[in-house]
Order: sequence, then C-alpha cells, then structure tokens
Amino acid sequence: MTPRALLETAVLLGLFVLAGGGYGGLYSIGRSAARPSLVRAARVCWVVAFAIALVITYATPLDAGWKLLILASALVYAVIPPVTWRYLERTHSDQGLGS
Amino acid sequence: MYRSQKLSLRYYAAAVTLFGVMIVFGLLSALYYLYPSMLFNVFDFSTSKIMHIDTLVIWLLMAFFGAVYWYLPQELGHEVVGMWLAELTFWVFCAVVAVVAVVFIFVQYGPAGNFTLWFINQGRKYVEAPRWATIGVVLVMLAFAYNVVATCRKAHKMTGIMWVLVLDLIPLVGVYLDAFSYDRNMSTDLYWWWWLVHMWVESTWEVLIGCVMALVLMDVMGTSRRIVEAWLYIEVMLVLGAGILGLGHHYFWIGTPQYWLSIGGFFSALEPLPLLGMVIHAVYDAGAHRLRTTNRPAFFWITTEAFLNFIGAGIWGFMMTLPQINLFTHGTQWTVSHGHFAFYGAYVCGVMAVFYVAKQKASGVAYLDGSAWKWAYGLLNIGMVGMVMALLVAGMAQAFFGRAIGGSTLEGFTTASQNPWFVSGMYARMLFGVMFAAGYVALVYDLLTSARRVAAHAMQPEPA
Repeated sequence: MTPRALLETAVLLGLFVLAGGGYGGLYSIGRSAARPSLVRAARVCWVVAFAIALVITYATPLDAGWKLLILASALVYAVIPPVTWRYLERTHSDQGLGS
Repeated sequence: MYRSQKLSLRYYAAAVTLFGVMIVFGLLSALYYLYPSMLFNVFDFSTSKIMHIDTLVIWLLMAFFGAVYWYLPQELGHEVVGMWLAELTFWVFCAVVAVVAVVFIFVQYGPAGNFTLWFINQGRKYVEAPRWATIGVVLVMLAFAYNVVATCRKAHKMTGIMWVLVLDLIPLVGVYLDAFSYDRNMSTDLYWWWWLVHMWVESTWEVLIGCVMALVLMDVMGTSRRIVEAWLYIEVMLVLGAGILGLGHHYFWIGTPQYWLSIGGFFSALEPLPLLGMVIHAVYDAGAHRLRTTNRPAFFWITTEAFLNFIGAGIWGFMMTLPQINLFTHGTQWTVSHGHFAFYGAYVCGVMAVFYVAKQKASGVAYLDGSAWKWAYGLLNIGMVGMVMALLVAGMAQAFFGRAIGGSTLEGFTTASQNPWFVSGMYARMLFGVMFAAGYVALVYDLLTSARRVAAHAMQPEPA
C-alpha cells in the first residue's frame, strides 16, 4: 500500500460509515418529525455510502475479502434504519407510546 | 433516600474528583509533546500517562459502582444487603487510590524486583497499581458483587436487567484477575493482557453501562421495562457475538497466528452496525418525548451518548480496524484519537447522565435545567471533538510520514514527530484540552450549585 493510498483508503472507510450514520440519523429524524424531505435526504446518504463502498472496491488496494465485506455492509446499512424503526414502533405501540 | 443511595453520592463525588485528576494529568501529558524535556528526571511523561489512564479506569469504575448502588434498591424495592461492607469498601477504595497516587507521584519507580512489584508499580500497562493495591481493588469488586447478589436473594426478586448485571459480575471480577499474571514470552503475555484491556474494559464494561443506561432510560424517559430489556439482550448478544472476537484487532501485530487478521478485522468491521441501531433508538426516544423531560442535562447526555459512541467507536474505529490499514496506524496518535472518542462516547456521556439523575433526585428538584450545564455540555463536547480531530491529524501524519514513508524506523518516527502536521496537531490538542478542562470546571460548578439555583429561582415571586 502506498502512503497516499493508506490515507485515501482510511478516509474512505471513515466516510463510508459516516454516510451510513447520516442515513440512519436523518431517516430517524425525518420519520420522527414526519418530514419526508429528511427521509429523502437520508436515502441520498445511503446512496453516497454505497457509492463510497464501490469506490473502495475499485480504487483501493484492500484485499478482496475486505472489499466484499464492505459491499455487504453497505447493503446491511440499507435495511437497519427501517427495520429498527418498525421494531421500535411496534414495541412502543404495544406500550401505548408512540413517536 | 436509601442508605445505599447516600453511598452512591459519595462514589459520584469521588468519581468526579478523579475525573478532574485525570484531566490535570491529561493536560500535563499533552504538554510533554510540546516541551519534551519538561520536568526531565523530575516527573517523566510515563508517570503522567500512568496517572491519566489509571484515573480514567478508576473514576469510571467508581461511577459505575455509584450508579448500581443508586438503582439497586429502587429496582428491587429493598435496601442493599451488607451496607456496612459497601461503606467500608468505599473508604478502602478511596484510601487505596490515594496511596497509589502518592506513590506514583513521589516515588514513581523502583528497581526491577519484588518490592517494586508489590509496593510501587507492578508494571502492567493500564493497571500499574502495585500488587497490594490490585488485591485491594479485587476485594472491593468482590464486596460489590456480594452486595448485588445478596440483595437480589434477600429481595426475592430478579428482573431481566438484574440477571444481566449479576452475570456480568463474573467477568467483572474474573477477568480483572488477569492483571496479576505475566509471562516471559512477550507474545503470550500480551495475548492475555489484551483480555484484561479488551474483555474487561471494553466488553464487561459495555454490558455494565448497558444495564445502567437501561435503568436510566426507564427513570428519565419513562421507557418501558420491556423495551429496555429487549435492547439490553440485543446488546449482550452483540457483545458475545462481535465484541469478544473483536478482541482479534489487538492481536494483529503481537506475534499471534495469522488467522487473527481475518477474525479481528471481520468482527471489528461489524461493530458500527449495532451502534447505528442505537442512534436510531435515541432519535426515536427523543422524538417520542418531543424533547420534553424533567431533567434536561440527563436527557441530552443520554442522546449524545448514542451519537458519539457511533462516531467514536464506529467511524473512528472503522477507519483503522482493517489489518492493511492498521499495520500503519496502530500505536500512533490515530489510535489515541479513537481511544479518546470511543471511551468518551461509550462511557463518559452515560456517566454524566447518571450524575444528573442523582443530582435531581437527591436535591428533590422537580425540573432540572439552567445555563451552567449547557456550558459544561458544550465545552466538554467541543473540547473532546477538537482533541480527537487534532489527534487524528497528528496520527495521520505519523502513519504517513513515519510508517508508510519512513518504514517504521527510528528516523521515520523522528521525522514524523517534527512534521508540521504533527506539531500543529499537538498544539491544537492542547488548546482543546484546555477547553475540555473548562467544561469540567463548569460541570463541577453546575453539579454543586444547580439544585440551589433552581430552588432560588422557584422561590422568586411572580411579577405582578
């Protein structure tokens, strides 16, 4: 790995998780405040995360196994916010609470 | 108020005091990077760093004990059994910490022999307290475990949270015993030492703070028991599933077999996923309450914990956890940046919430708010974020110039240490460290005076 590739790869990995977090954060704030624009922005964040995962796959010197793991993670990120949100709504509605 | 809750307040006072000591030695340690020959042969960097890290471990442990002593009678509807032992061990704990601190500051080191091991420094990184004190800490933890288990038995009541807590006591005491062992083979020695650091501080504490936060969430946000217990079980599963084998990322470069590269990298890469779930849960809870709460500082610290835990452990960890990257980053200020952020997000923010819960309940204030806590909250958070950003820049400079270009040689290390990116990172870290310290002062001021100020405000006559 070249010195330049080291920093680029590390920053891309950080940005990948940051975009995934942005997706989760904006999705939940958008759903909580009933603002579809934020939910749309959240989806854009996921697209960014997926795009970063693709860049990592094509442009970094990581081993193939790690690239596959990152791509799989990007797909898992897509489902975590809606699944978690549905679970929270269901458990809270059972308790008579709601967002 | 239960007797154990009064003890809890003492634990909090001790924890906040040690938090201050940790900050003082953190600032001092940061100064050595700017003035390397400062206090040469009078008070060396290594001792300052020991004080900084060991007080971190102890103040958080004391805060956890305080939190459990606070909630235990509330959860079980029964006063803690063996209070005399709990009170005695609190003072023993404080005395042990004070004596060890005095020895570290004034004696510092001794010849490599049994006397040093038993009475000055046992030489185990992060648990440097001499052997007699380490035994003392074990006894304190055993007494704590007895208090919890005996109270559950006497109360004839076990909740899901208490089951998790009781089971967590086994590794809490058991894994700490690893502080005593050593091996002449450095790889074997480090192999087991990481059990202490990763399993005890990262995994066992994660479960412990999970139990505490479950109780706090029910208390502050009125979240139902079923929900918090469900999340707690999920967290335990994740700790068992990913956290334990995440230990592997510490085994990359200590002479262990190559398969640890795959195991450590894989399970560490999974760690951001549950943290994302926590962020969503925090936003859901905040939305469900429309930010309405009777304890605003606790509420904000709870929410902040989820976000900073995700950023500190998730983003900062993922940047450097894959072996190909970690080869260049381990042991640099990059790691220090991740360590600071992850600890702050995972533990410190949660403990802050616990302090404010106790503050409100102990002073009988119906609504806790004001401006001082906002200063503390802002300065501590901005100070920490600034510090970790500065450390990240410095660490990247070390990885780039010292490791990737310099080939991890002494010359590469020296070159990286003189690089303007590294040097300016160290200055920025110092600046934000001072800001963090100012936040601590605001925190102490607020904790000492908030109830009085709120009460005085409530007594003021309404304008005609």
